[in-house]
Amino acid sequence: MLGMFKLIADSGPIVHIAPGVIFHIGKYAITNSEFYGWISLIVIFILLVIAARKITIFPKKGPLQLVEVTTEFIINTVETSFEDKDKAKKYRPYFVTLFFFILLNNWLGLLPFVGEGFTLMGFPILRPFTADLNATFAMGAITMIYVYYSSIKESGGFIDYLKHFFVGSPKNPLFLIIGILEMITDITRVLSLSLRLFLNIAIGEIVIAVFSYLGHILAPLTALPFTLIELFVTALQAYIFTILSVMYLAIVVNHKSEEHAETT
Amino acid sequence: MILATAVNTAIIAKGLMIAGGFIGPGIGIGLIGGNYLQAVGRNPEAAKFLGQALIFVAIVELFGLLAFASIFIVK
Repeated sequence: MLGMFKLIADSGPIVHIAPGVIFHIGKYAITNSEFYGWISLIVIFILLVIAARKITIFPKKGPLQLVEVTTEFIINTVETSFEDKDKAKKYRPYFVTLFFFILLNNWLGLLPFVGEGFTLMGFPILRPFTADLNATFAMGAITMIYVYYSSIKESGGFIDYLKHFFVGSPKNPLFLIIGILEMITDITRVLSLSLRLFLNIAIGEIVIAVFSYLGHILAPLTALPFTLIELFVTALQAYIFTILSVMYLAIVVNHKSEEHAETT
Repeated sequence: MILATAVNTAIIAKGLMIAGGFIGPGIGIGLIGGNYLQAVGRNPEAAKFLGQALIFVAIVELFGLLAFASIFIVK
């Protein structure tokens, strides 16, 4: 009964947009999202290694089919983006890994015990790994470094890579300005990739926290529809992160193969 | 100064931020969805481009989310 009055007297839901430090190991401060990130990393690793061991050529019934279907779906999208089948074969493992990593991290973040429910030193103990800008920025940066490295290698040198920014000769001032603008928008890709994923997951957590606060005692009932929406939105975000990075790479690779077709 | 002491301006600021920040992405997503359905209506083969349409939805959605995130900065 006293607890109910306390709830009514509350000023509002407690939400965090940034992760908080929950404990220290030596000199290093461990944040809640980092802590849960390691847990989910181990869970994802074990799950996918078991799945990879059990998969056979003839499909079996059960949850393994889900993994197979998803893998095939991503492979198909990668192959339709690249015009060259061999190139797609070369690059698809990274993108399938990326998709599964983001998807399972997002879904593990939606479990009921993750979030504002259990707190330590004013911060939730467990926080979804992708609801941390450091994590998503690292993912975006590593992806873009891989994309730049592969596209420079595909174009056959740094100068040849820079050429694809310019539609015509760089001596023409209009083409020069367009090319430089293209380069600047290229740099913002890391930010847009990481911010999109981070904000979607963090705001999903906030929406769930707000609606479970509004529900008082019926919190599971009010938060359930938003959790189900999040289940769909997080899967969509994982797909978008993957497909956008595929496209950034495919633009350069396809550009190169077109040039080959013109000259030969 | 008088206004600031009389009413909580932070709440008004948050409301305006949400209103202004969500109207643009709302229109944008509506245009994307409407144009996608129009394309499907004219040419049913275009239904396979749903994935591309969703990518643009995500790009537009980012601006709405940025507005939502900035209400936590206003105190």
